Amino acid sequence: MTFADLLLQQTINGLSLGAMYALLALGFTLVYGILELINFSHFNVFMVGSFVGLWVLQQFGLSGQEIVLAGLPLVGVLLAAFVVTMGVSGGIGVAIERLCLRPLRNVKGPAAMITTIGVSYILFNIVLLTVGADSKNYPNPVPAIHYHIGGAVLDLRVILIWIVATILMLGLYFFVQRSRLGKAMRATAQDAEAARMMGVEVDKVIIMAFFLGSALAGAGGMIFGLYYNFTSFLIGFTAGLRAFTAAVLGGIGNVPGAMVGGILIGLIEAMSAQFLATAWTDVIIFSILVLVLVFKPSGLFGRIAPTKS
Amino acid sequence: MPNVASLLATVPEARRQQIAIGTLIVLAAIFPILIDRNDADVDSMANAAAYATLALGLNIVVGFAGLLDLGYAAFFAIGAYTYGILTAYQLQPPWNDFWAVFQTLGLATPVPADIGDGMVVHFTLSFWIGLPLAACIAAGCGVLFGAPTLRLRGDYLAIVTLGFGEIVPIVVRNWSDLTNGAAGLNGVAAPRLFGWSFGVNSVPYYYVAMLMVAALIFISIRLRDSRIGRAWMAIREDEIAAGAMGVDRTRFKLLAFAIGAAFGGMTGVFYVAKLQTATPEMFGFPVSVMILVMVVFGGIGSVWGVVLGAFILQLLQSWWLQDLTEWLHILGRAVGSTTLQKIDLIESIELIFGVILVLMMLFRRQGLIPAVRPQAALTFDQQHAEVRRGGFSGLNLQGLGGDKRTGEIALDIKGVTVRFGGLTALNKVDLQVPTGSVVAVIGPNGSGKSTLFNAITGLLDNTEGSIRFHGDEMRGLPPHTILKKGIARTFQNLRLFPNLTVMDNALIGQHARLTTGVFKAIARPPSTRREEKAARDWAMEVFAIFGNRLVPRVGQMVLGLSYANRRRIEIARALASRPRILLLDEPTAGMNPAESLELAEQIKSLNDLGLTVLLIEHKLDVVTRLADTVYVLDHGDIIASGKPDEVRQNEAVLTAYLGRNAQAAVAGVA
Amino acid sequence: MLNRRRAAQLIASASAVAAIGGTRAASAADKIIKIGADLSLTGADAQGASRVKNAITMAVNAANDGHAVPGYTFELMILDDGTATAGQYDPAQAATNARKMVSDPLVVAAIGPQMSGAGKAMTPILSQGGLSTITPSSTNPDITNPKFAAQYRPAGKPIYFRTVTTDAFQGPNMANFFAEVLKVKKVYVLDDSGAFGVGVADAFEAQAKKKGMEVLGRDRLDPKAADYTAILTKIKSLNAEAFYYGGVSQAGVKLAKQAYDIVPTMIKGGPDGMTSADLLSGAGFPAVEGWYTTIAAPHLVDDTKAAEFVKTFKGLFGTAPDDYSITAYDAALVVIDAVKRVAATGKPVTREAVTDAMLTAKVPTIQGVVSFDANGDLADRTVSVFHIQKDPSKPLDDVSAQYKYLQVAPQS
Repeated sequence: MTFADLLLQQTINGLSLGAMYALLALGFTLVYGILELINFSHFNVFMVGSFVGLWVLQQFGLSGQEIVLAGLPLVGVLLAAFVVTMGVSGGIGVAIERLCLRPLRNVKGPAAMITTIGVSYILFNIVLLTVGADSKNYPNPVPAIHYHIGGAVLDLRVILIWIVATILMLGLYFFVQRSRLGKAMRATAQDAEAARMMGVEVDKVIIMAFFLGSALAGAGGMIFGLYYNFTSFLIGFTAGLRAFTAAVLGGIGNVPGAMVGGILIGLIEAMSAQFLATAWTDVIIFSILVLVLVFKPSGLFGRIAPTKS
Repeated sequence: MPNVASLLATVPEARRQQIAIGTLIVLAAIFPILIDRNDADVDSMANAAAYATLALGLNIVVGFAGLLDLGYAAFFAIGAYTYGILTAYQLQPPWNDFWAVFQTLGLATPVPADIGDGMVVHFTLSFWIGLPLAACIAAGCGVLFGAPTLRLRGDYLAIVTLGFGEIVPIVVRNWSDLTNGAAGLNGVAAPRLFGWSFGVNSVPYYYVAMLMVAALIFISIRLRDSRIGRAWMAIREDEIAAGAMGVDRTRFKLLAFAIGAAFGGMTGVFYVAKLQTATPEMFGFPVSVMILVMVVFGGIGSVWGVVLGAFILQLLQSWWLQDLTEWLHILGRAVGSTTLQKIDLIESIELIFGVILVLMMLFRRQGLIPAVRPQAALTFDQQHAEVRRGGFSGLNLQGLGGDKRTGEIALDIKGVTVRFGGLTALNKVDLQVPTGSVVAVIGPNGSGKSTLFNAITGLLDNTEGSIRFHGDEMRGLPPHTILKKGIARTFQNLRLFPNLTVMDNALIGQHARLTTGVFKAIARPPSTRREEKAARDWAMEVFAIFGNRLVPRVGQMVLGLSYANRRRIEIARALASRPRILLLDEPTAGMNPAESLELAEQIKSLNDLGLTVLLIEHKLDVVTRLADTVYVLDHGDIIASGKPDEVRQNEAVLTAYLGRNAQAAVAGVA
Repeated sequence: MLNRRRAAQLIASASAVAAIGGTRAASAADKIIKIGADLSLTGADAQGASRVKNAITMAVNAANDGHAVPGYTFELMILDDGTATAGQYDPAQAATNARKMVSDPLVVAAIGPQMSGAGKAMTPILSQGGLSTITPSSTNPDITNPKFAAQYRPAGKPIYFRTVTTDAFQGPNMANFFAEVLKVKKVYVLDDSGAFGVGVADAFEAQAKKKGMEVLGRDRLDPKAADYTAILTKIKSLNAEAFYYGGVSQAGVKLAKQAYDIVPTMIKGGPDGMTSADLLSGAGFPAVEGWYTTIAAPHLVDDTKAAEFVKTFKGLFGTAPDDYSITAYDAALVVIDAVKRVAATGKPVTREAVTDAMLTAKVPTIQGVVSFDANGDLADRTVSVFHIQKDPSKPLDDVSAQYKYLQVAPQS
């Protein structure tokens, strides 16, 4: 492997990771942008999402690595799996908002954030107590096709993951930019009170933010399973923490910022493993976070969050 | 029972507290005997006590100062490894004469090396030195971690502290020369007292832990009820107002981090001395979260609450749930129910915690023992307001104002410009306030009046020009220094400390005039008691300006008071700082005409006492009544100035205020 | 004839036995003997702990059913050292549990803990209480190292026994195997951040250097992270001939999968943590094909015992046992054997007597005959090397079928 090949390969590795972080980061950023709330339950919505995806794939008779699909069946199965996973995860997000967070909407201080920690514990342990603690083998219906670019290898699976992640992120971006509800979301993020006075149904906007964010987390969970071919009750924490860092890095509340932040964190992780050591990955990621916040507190792309006086 | 209740009711509150605390102390002291020296349960209690001290430390950071810290276990780890490394078989530099000094101090001893036949150093730090040493080192790290986060707001602060909380165990794990990494330290020394080692006997550890809890409760309460605690709570309630009222935010935030970290560091020493080992896993994110949960569960900011929260949550998992599960199984066997026998509460403990946490937040956010307790309503007599309209010659307001109208310029503003992006909020503003006078600034909404106040009081960092107060340049100084120089202000939108009492608000106003530091706050020597009493007396004198509108309410939370009263409190808070000039930003906003008039009279009287006043006001009758000079701001420019009557006739002013057509109409009437 | 007193005893002991989960009849008037067990049943290590718990329960039930020790009925006292506070094993809780065991006079021996960190906190207390424990999985050599005797056995006697070898043997012997048999010249070393993994990898690295291998680098995986592609890409780019992973299957499953994608032909090695059904079911074929792994015991040619154990275990609990289920089962066998030998002499079954009996143990177990040296470590330090080769005719998660025994690793 030449040095250029190596860089290319690590970039491919980093981009795959980054796509996943970006999907997760979007959920943090949507909710934070509107409610100014660090949603710790998001970590485990992602984890639950990967199990929902596993369940759907199993319903199609897929288990283990042996069964490989191609063409239309592959597209159909993946589409169905993503739709169901995102629907269920989104539903969980909405339920969390309605049951646990809405009563705390106007409460100052860390109450809402602490509630999300509690919800996170609950989701985590429900999965642990029902499906058990061992890693689950995740089906991989995508044919194992490798493309060689110089010394670097690119899997078909990776390309598919990039495509799905890109479609989802662009979809969200255009939704937020163009649609009526998307505009209402942005308005609420700027100033909830003013938006309410202008006739925006803030409750609806918040529900939508939770639904979209959690659905994307679910999709991220499924992508995680497809990419790494396993899932377990533990996957939420590390991925969630890095994704949140990504959201802050990009400027929390800022949708394109979360995407770029996610990709950046993915690349940083890959490059630090190459040039430093994986043992220090978290130290590096958090040091970068601290430096960014100290010198550019609004993140790389500027934060968009409610102005509470 | 009613007899006991009525008997208790006759005992005064302070006495009741003493009795309760005394009972607690006795119970804690005889606990090991009560449970028949059950070693495991005593040990559980000692661990729970360690978590109580951690909760007390975090409570200072989160509860008092309002700084959300999600990585508190880092300090626990730092304290633990400080003591651990300095007593374990880990750090063993070759022995030479340099270490002889340490040997005489009892801190090191030569032991044969594993490899070769030389001697190496074995550190033998005493537990009792380890406690303060680790406290200092952890406090230093608290300042180090806190410093970059000072500019960050609550949520960002949370994520950065979380980052530090992750980093510290990773460093511990990877720096294995120093910490023995994942394998854990070997041979951390148990504490010794007069040559007798605690060993693995749980009883002495229990008493040490309980003494630590008691000491930290005492320190927490002393700090809370002092100038230090008030400054923290002011930051928690409203950072900007805290700065404007003279609290050095940087210093007090770092102080909170440092003291919180010191508690954590001390607990770390105790914890590893008891365990005689330490591994990086003991200090992970779940630990930080659990300590936070203890604080929230017990009651954020409530000293007794967080202690109770820590004991309950810790004993639940290490003691009660195990016993409960066992009893359920016994019951299941007795009634022949296999379901009961299979229940394992311990496996579900995290689920149980999650549910407790959510339910607490939804239904009892203030925690088990709320920090703020409801107060009795005022009686009718107390509510019956006796209005005082200035002319308070009988009041003892010495030290307030006293400036003669010498014509000397008190506040001299020259060429002040403030730009926000493309918008010029103030454009080369010149303004003079002569000593002893009342100057009013008027102007339409958005004309830059409040920006001018913010520029004077140091809340903006993009001010150009010069702001001199009695000859000293104020521009570039932090808000708390400006207040100390004698410039106090109120805010247009009221920035009181809503969850503090009226008295506390006024005491925070005096922050810059008081001197009590951490040690005096804890020890409370006579000088501090005198200072505190004088501060309270002075606050009462200031409250008396407003007749009995505030005096009967000094013990109440600001939150529940009427709007007009809150306006008065804000003025009182500013006056409490003994300013030479008072900046009032629309003091009568939201008051009815009678109340406005009452306040105007009071301001007039204050001015008569020699207090210089700079006033933003919309109500022209108030301005006319009070002001010697009026400046008119429009779009950041001073468009007119002079005596109130002159300004009223000024065409530019009329245009700015009323628009051209209206001006024509006025002209037509004239 | 059944008189009232005897009937009461019968009910009492029957209910006590039922606690272990069986419905069998117990001999009346049996004396109760408790075996303590300290396991990490909550948090991150819950899965392994429940298998250990199952294995011990299985051994104890079998002993009671078969009246292994006439006149005595065993009862388990299972304590959890995992806490929600730590999110995993908590040394402080382990210490509390040690006190609980010590303060119950019926407890004569214990099994556990799983983690060396817990062991370090427990041993001073157990030593003072004279209570011996057998760990099925904690491998840190310090605890049984005579150098630290003052710390970990202040009362003098060894009380920390193991049915696994310490890190001091598996890693170095595998390094010898890499150098002498596989002729590896350039190797990369990884661990999984855990005490076991770091210890094994450290020992491997040191011996590899001694053997003249070039250690290209050393890194540490975060077992909670999912992505090891970057570090594997780095290993690939360094043109390593092999990598050795010190650790257990939690990170190992992910590593095996991703290694198959990135460095499919590289020589891959791991310790007994990788000799596990978890690896076979979690990573599966073809990813696991070709891994070299070890166990810290001689391989038994006539391995019907192990197969039988696996079958019974699966039948009882529905999951395959892992490596530590076997060591835990063996630990229980050793305890039962020690009690049996003490009881046979007619002396009272005390902690001290049980400890002495364990020191002279020669117990046939699943992993072979277990006996201990003077410090409580396994006397037999044989390390056996296996090679994963797919046998499609057998269940694909059957360790005994899919791991092919190669040889005894060269001793260092």
